[in-house]
Amino acid sequence: MTLNIDEEQDVSVTKGMIRAEFNFWVGIVMDKFYDGLQEKKFIGTKCSKCGKVFLPPRNRCGDCFAKAEDFIDLPETGILKNFTVTTYKISERKTRNVKKDQIVGLVQIDGADSAMVVPVININPEDLKIGMKLKVVWAKNIKGDPNDIAGFEPIGGV
Amino acid sequence: MANVQPAVISAGFCEHASKRSDVNMAELVNEAVEDCLNKAGSVEWKDIDYVINGNMPAFEGANMPELWMTDHMAAKNKPLLRVTTGGTTGGSVFVSGYYAVASGLYDMVLAVAFEQQSCGNTTVGLASVALGELSIYPSLGYEATRLRRNMGAGAAIGVASYQAMNYMRRSKATEEDLARVVVQNRRNAAKNWWTHLKMPTITIEDVLDTPYISYPLRFGMVCPASDGACAVLFTTEEKAKQIADIPVYINGVGSYANEPAIIGVDCGGAGQTDPCEQLGAVKSAELAYSQAGISFPNKEIDYAEVYSPFPNQELQWVERVGLFEPNSAPEAYLNGVTALNGEMPVNCSGGVNSTNAIGASAMERPAESALQIMGKAGNQVPKTVHTALGHGWGGAINLISHVVMADEPQRKFK
Repeated sequence: MTLNIDEEQDVSVTKGMIRAEFNFWVGIVMDKFYDGLQEKKFIGTKCSKCGKVFLPPRNRCGDCFAKAEDFIDLPETGILKNFTVTTYKISERKTRNVKKDQIVGLVQIDGADSAMVVPVININPEDLKIGMKLKVVWAKNIKGDPNDIAGFEPIGGV
Repeated sequence: MANVQPAVISAGFCEHASKRSDVNMAELVNEAVEDCLNKAGSVEWKDIDYVINGNMPAFEGANMPELWMTDHMAAKNKPLLRVTTGGTTGGSVFVSGYYAVASGLYDMVLAVAFEQQSCGNTTVGLASVALGELSIYPSLGYEATRLRRNMGAGAAIGVASYQAMNYMRRSKATEEDLARVVVQNRRNAAKNWWTHLKMPTITIEDVLDTPYISYPLRFGMVCPASDGACAVLFTTEEKAKQIADIPVYINGVGSYANEPAIIGVDCGGAGQTDPCEQLGAVKSAELAYSQAGISFPNKEIDYAEVYSPFPNQELQWVERVGLFEPNSAPEAYLNGVTALNGEMPVNCSGGVNSTNAIGASAMERPAESALQIMGKAGNQVPKTVHTALGHGWGGAINLISHVVMADEPQRKFK
């Protein structure tokens, strides 16, 4: 059975724009995190019960349901826990091609129990190794937002 | 019928305001969960074995907020369910908590409902509810492009103004009667710690002095848009007796859909042309009362919380759910029957008219009713409350939740 639809006659198209704007309140602990970025510093939180350290910070520990509102300064170095290499760029809508492969990695800052998804830069994909030491590269213009982290690069080069 | 008698042992809130910009959504919810657990005696977060979460779909631009706030709801490594049914969301979350215990599958259930409207754009949010039904409209005989004009009165108030017109025609209620409801709500809200619009000195003249938004409803009669969260803890009769001083037993639950009332203005399905008739509410209430063994709700119910963002709805609901004879509610409000010290106190929490964190609102109704039975409400009525009801309304204006609770379990479960 085939269904014949005359698009000209049978389909009515309604076009319209809906403007959608959203706010985001950073909250109690992420506020401090972004303040920290402004000073080129990582600030995490520590669980008051089990001592787990969260970066990015959160105000509750999921394992203890205890408060995690004690702030703790963390170093600029960390370990590559996981990574992927992407040859497509989401923001490049036309071709989706990039000149250079992009590396996205899961980096666990030394002393933290959680990890962040960040760009990994200044390294060839074939040199990547899970467990390697990395150090943050700060953006040129620090604004106190997520883009302050330009990426993470290997310590001492490869 | 259920084999397990569900009970409420605690209800918690966070402070509601137009902008809780000091916390993010997860932290906002956490405040209510913490308040709920603090009031739950010996219960620890580890005892919770099921968590239910709900708010309006994507109002804050977050489609799966329950995953973000898992840790903040003590839900890590526990079964987690999200429920969202428009304005009735909170009521549906509450009813889901009841089902979870009544089924015998879970012993300690935490239900969480919230909204942080300041993060979102409520009109966009409502567009996902109202305009989301675009594909239905042609089947109801509406031209899709004309939708905007039909809804032009503004989503929720547009619906409420049709209800108000018919209610006023039926009952001969005046604008002053509507304003009286607002005054009672806002003055009550001033005495309840977690509410949004606290107006201890507001008068009927103040309300009537504001401009019309959508005739016959004025700006001063409209609920605010709030940020807030509510959490309720459910358990079995046996556990509730060990934990709570006064366990609140859920004896009847009715949640009916009223399809013809979709968007409040369509009269298609069943030839129902009166948006204040609200058969869904009548039927939900009948079912809940029959489960709870209540024959004369106007005599047996001691306290009521109904879902009324707009004052005409409060008058309409208290009649539809059987607390007052049809068209008699305005007189009851005039005579103080529904006041804090009246025979049938209604919405002493301040109601939705004073605080509307949409997703949470329909759960705050039964939650406040439960607190009134426990004697722990923010604006506690002086008389002893044995039996109370919590009512929710919403969806595409077509879903009702009706909960009857009491300090005695309903023995027919046994």
